[in-house]
Amino acid sequence: MNQVTDINLIQGLLKQDSKAQRAMLERYGQFVFAQVARLVPGIENAEEVYQDVFVKVFRSIDTYDVQKSSLLTWLSRIAYHESVSYLRRSSIPVIYFEDREGEAEKLSESEVDATFGQPNPETVQLIRAALTHLPPDERAIITMFYYEEMSLNDIAYITESIPTTVASKLSRTRKKLCKIIKMLQS
Amino acid sequence: MNTLCQQDTNLRDAIRFEEMERPQMPADLNARLMKRVEAHSPSARVRKLWPWLAAACVAAFIAVYVTPPKDGTGDVMETLAVTAKAEQSQAPTPVAPKVEEPRHAVVPVEAPEKAKPQKPRQRAAATENLMAQQSAAPSAQTAVVETDLVATADPKAEAEMTVLSERDIPITRPENYQYTREELAQLKKQAAEAYLKWVELEMEISRNNLEQTAQK
Repeated sequence: MNQVTDINLIQGLLKQDSKAQRAMLERYGQFVFAQVARLVPGIENAEEVYQDVFVKVFRSIDTYDVQKSSLLTWLSRIAYHESVSYLRRSSIPVIYFEDREGEAEKLSESEVDATFGQPNPETVQLIRAALTHLPPDERAIITMFYYEEMSLNDIAYITESIPTTVASKLSRTRKKLCKIIKMLQS
Repeated sequence: MNTLCQQDTNLRDAIRFEEMERPQMPADLNARLMKRVEAHSPSARVRKLWPWLAAACVAAFIAVYVTPPKDGTGDVMETLAVTAKAEQSQAPTPVAPKVEEPRHAVVPVEAPEKAKPQKPRQRAAATENLMAQQSAAPSAQTAVVETDLVATADPKAEAEMTVLSERDIPITRPENYQYTREELAQLKKQAAEAYLKWVELEMEISRNNLEQTAQK
């Protein structure tokens, strides 16, 4: 049903139909805004990027390929790249933890699994604090995987990468988060 | 990877809380975006432009429909008027008595009717008729002038001289938009003769004035 309506929506967008554009915003607006706000700090900046994303979507709807990805994944790809390019362009200062000495890589898998696997409200709060110290792109990937439950293929399509790279990046991010938690605890 | 996603409950919860606390999308953001999209869309530009284009087309059509076709009469009238003015400006200061203008200067405004090509024979006949009319009905003032001029003018030249009129050269008719060489030469000759006559008349008037003042 959703697939059929998506096709109708795309047909309307190809004709530059304002009704179809409104329907698109109603259906995917919240999702795109959340994705943008995750990467871009400040609501005004996020609003600007959100508008840029949809202007780009309406203009380049003819480049969308149904066989390559779903409409939602295609929208996420545009939103991700618009946000990243906005961050580069506007040079907003972003402070994050960088593991220069590679200490996070030294952590064992069992140690990391124990930190994230055993339900503990205190650990949840620590993880929330640790998430703010991650760079925006890593935070976006981890959210896409754990919160939006996207497949590695979709994340790879969005970030213009390959699934194995995404998997290794996820693993590294988990370890990095664990390292930040340990630093916060100490 | 799916098992990893399932087993990291703490991480999932933390991200869920983070997402819940994220600022919500403003309610009017989509409306603002739609305004921006409509302002930049080509259809909006076309919608703004088309009434002006339509109005311009209608105005052009009306202008074409209302404006009468050019028949060249105006141009000839203007040149005649300009010539007359130039001659007046070249003339000496004493005011000349009002002399009846030659008939060819008056272009009758005829109703636009389908023009028929006039044959040379007809034209010649018309010229002769006109000459006869002009000689038959002279006014009192012109009679004086003509008698004066006759005394000075060469009778042979006068006999050969033909006065062109609007009837002879009906330039208002489409088939006669252009003068022939002969017609142009005749027009020039006629204009020169008219000028000479006018100068002679002026000289005669000034001579009379001088005589009158001398008598007084």
